[in-house]
Amino acid sequence: MMLASANPLEFNLLPFITTMVVFGTVAAALGFFVWPKILKGLDDRNAKILGEIAAAEAARTAAAAKQKEFEQKLQEAMEESSRMIREAKAEAVRMGEELRVRSEAELAERARRAQDEIESARRTAVAELESHAATLAVSIASRILKREISASDQKRMVEESLAGMQGKSS
Amino acid sequence: MISLLASASDPMSHLVDKGLHQWNILGRPVMLSMVTMLVTAIVLVVLLRFAARSIATGPESMGNKRFVTRSAFGGVIEVMVLYLRDEMLGPVMGARLTRKYLPFLLSMFFFILALNIIGLIPFVEVQEFISWRRGEQFNLAENTTLAIFGGAATASISVTGGMAVISFVLIQVQGFRELGVKGWLEHLCGGHDLVGGSPLLYPVALLVFVVEFFGLFVKPAALAIRLFANMVAGHTLLIVFTSFGALAANAGLGWFGVSAITVVSAVGSMLITLLEVFVALLQAFVFMFLTAVFISLMAHEDHGQDEAHGEDAAHAHGAPAH
Repeated sequence: MMLASANPLEFNLLPFITTMVVFGTVAAALGFFVWPKILKGLDDRNAKILGEIAAAEAARTAAAAKQKEFEQKLQEAMEESSRMIREAKAEAVRMGEELRVRSEAELAERARRAQDEIESARRTAVAELESHAATLAVSIASRILKREISASDQKRMVEESLAGMQGKSS
Repeated sequence: MISLLASASDPMSHLVDKGLHQWNILGRPVMLSMVTMLVTAIVLVVLLRFAARSIATGPESMGNKRFVTRSAFGGVIEVMVLYLRDEMLGPVMGARLTRKYLPFLLSMFFFILALNIIGLIPFVEVQEFISWRRGEQFNLAENTTLAIFGGAATASISVTGGMAVISFVLIQVQGFRELGVKGWLEHLCGGHDLVGGSPLLYPVALLVFVVEFFGLFVKPAALAIRLFANMVAGHTLLIVFTSFGALAANAGLGWFGVSAITVVSAVGSMLITLLEVFVALLQAFVFMFLTAVFISLMAHEDHGQDEAHGEDAAHAHGAPAH
């Protein structure tokens, strides 16, 4: 079956006008019902993504600032604790030294006081001994001499005896 | 079937826009491309409206998921719109013109794409086959068909011409609104530097005016012819491939020869169809993109860095010549 050769370049007014009318209607319908919704949806999403990125960036900046602040505080706390430890150590050393000095002074005082007491006791003992010895000597002498010795004689004789004793002891 | 047999001897008869059998408006036959366009337009609006609903921001109750596209088809449309807006039109036209003309240009792109894709689906052949089975194919006037829908509408110069006229009107309206009548005339004469310069340059300005004036009509005409020619060429190639089997049968080859040639032509047709899908996308893009370029050329020249970048991009992209 052989048809007459068709010419695709043949112009037809009706499709030409229909094209303009149909496309105009389509463009109007799409421009009214479709593209505003699609473009708004895309813009909303874009704004959402940009907003989320900006919020994340702000949160990151805030977190970095907080971290810096925390690190600074931590550093300050560490320095403070080191200083307190140093001061405590120094205080302990000072108190130990003070305690040692005070103990030594107390010990020295006690030793001195003991020595004084010893000396006082020695002197008391010596005086008692002297008194007792003199009385004893007078008693013995009076017995021997059978006579009373006056107080002045007694004193003289005691002093002579003591002098003699001191000379022997030295 | 009868169409296929006919196309074996004359592929163009299959391609040309045919009148619908006994359908007339004001004494003129209603053409297949008209019904195809109308049906395609309705389907396109319905599909894009569905896509718009799935792309649009949902209610607050959906939480963050309200920003997510809720259908695969919506996702495809979204990717295409984003790519065209941000990667193609934005750099060429600048932010202001893109915002202004994006709905129109997107409509143009999707309308032509839908017509191109519909043209690849053999609706006419199926209808003619059914008619042939019913024995209704006889007594048809020349260049008429029993099919009521289908065919490549963009393979008709009347259709692509109509689209080109719309582009032409839009480009000139943009020119007048942006430049004014004086600026528009200056633009045709090569710009203010040439017109306001030395009188010795006036002959040059006159020459430029003649060239630019014809250019006003040549540019949209080229748009129409490019789209029409690509569609016709692709479909002719496809028809020739699919007709090999019929040609072999007409030539009296045995069943083995006809079968072998039919298998080869079927494989070739599938490959060509894949190529045609790409061409359908590319030609829709080229038509829309060149319209955008011509619109942006009618804008003020001192429209900022964004626009300057756009012109650079336009030059970089050039005019696709497929």
